[in-house]
Amino acid sequence: MEFTLLWAALSGAAGLYGALWWMGRRDTSLCVRDLWEIAITAAVVGLAVGRVVAMVRGGVNPLAHPGDLILVRAGVDTAAASVAALIAAGWLTRSDRFEQLDGLTPAAVLGVAGWHAGCLFRDACLGTPSSLPWAWSQPGSSITRHPVELYAAVLLAIGAWALFRLRLRYPAPALVSGLGLALAGLVRLITEPLRPSLFAGPVWWYGAAIAIGAALAGWSLYRTGSSDTQQSPPPLQ
Amino acid sequence: MSSEQPVVLNVWASWCIPCRSEAPLLRAAYESFGDEVTFIGLDVRDDQESARAFLNEFDLDGFEHFFDPSGAVQGSLGRGGVPLTMFYAPGGELVERHFGVIDERALALNIDEILRRGP
Repeated sequence: MEFTLLWAALSGAAGLYGALWWMGRRDTSLCVRDLWEIAITAAVVGLAVGRVVAMVRGGVNPLAHPGDLILVRAGVDTAAASVAALIAAGWLTRSDRFEQLDGLTPAAVLGVAGWHAGCLFRDACLGTPSSLPWAWSQPGSSITRHPVELYAAVLLAIGAWALFRLRLRYPAPALVSGLGLALAGLVRLITEPLRPSLFAGPVWWYGAAIAIGAALAGWSLYRTGSSDTQQSPPPLQ
Repeated sequence: MSSEQPVVLNVWASWCIPCRSEAPLLRAAYESFGDEVTFIGLDVRDDQESARAFLNEFDLDGFEHFFDPSGAVQGSLGRGGVPLTMFYAPGGELVERHFGVIDERALALNIDEILRRGP
């Protein structure tokens, strides 16, 4: 049995926890343990739902073959998994939604970056052919390829750091959550053409994530702007 | 194995749960690349009735399948487990031998690799 997928998942979890720990030391308002539990629960829910949807779309009845659920290597529907994880996170943070989601988002983005970087454990970093100097090839092959999963990891890691800084400087509710969702969609959208695929990728889902995330961030800025206007002190007389 | 076309050889069995999980991916690969790549299935240590039911269930009839009830052919391929997926470049060079369930990325990448390699 191969455990390379497990190592990649652990790489993502390490990225998530490392980011939460680091953020918690710099921002004492964050409850690291709560955010960790919310993120892991949402990830497990997303994984399960994504696997069930992939089974159904592949013609496998999950009720007749429940054992297939654990064979995540055979496919997880990305769009369904993402939506389910977001719904789960939204429900788990219902008492103080945007405060917690804004705190969680930079770490979650770094966790996704860790998952992509986990391609190094799976020997699964390569995409379409390239002659760029940093391209490399499969063992025994002369065809060099883009390390596309590492591109995604680097972009997401930079984005996570920027989101964390933004949250500290401009804590408008939902702004970081919206931008994080848009960033995740954008990184997938721009790296997708470099991935070999059997299917035309779910590009519209990535576009939808960008649009929803940008709309959420815009709403946050608008709401904060309105609130600032209403709460501004009266002029001196 | 020698062929002018690249070849994907999948070793499977109807009783093999991981084979069931990767079957939809193999069908998708066949639908996308069936004109350029020869897909071959090798059903091992199985009975024909169960094998036919499996092929019908996953609509894998487009492949050319061979029946190896004793597992003798499978044994000659190197390792005994299923599933096993092998990728051959045109001319018969073995490019990749993937043990266990194959994922979409590995399947797509290796098909791309054998399509780009000359004989």
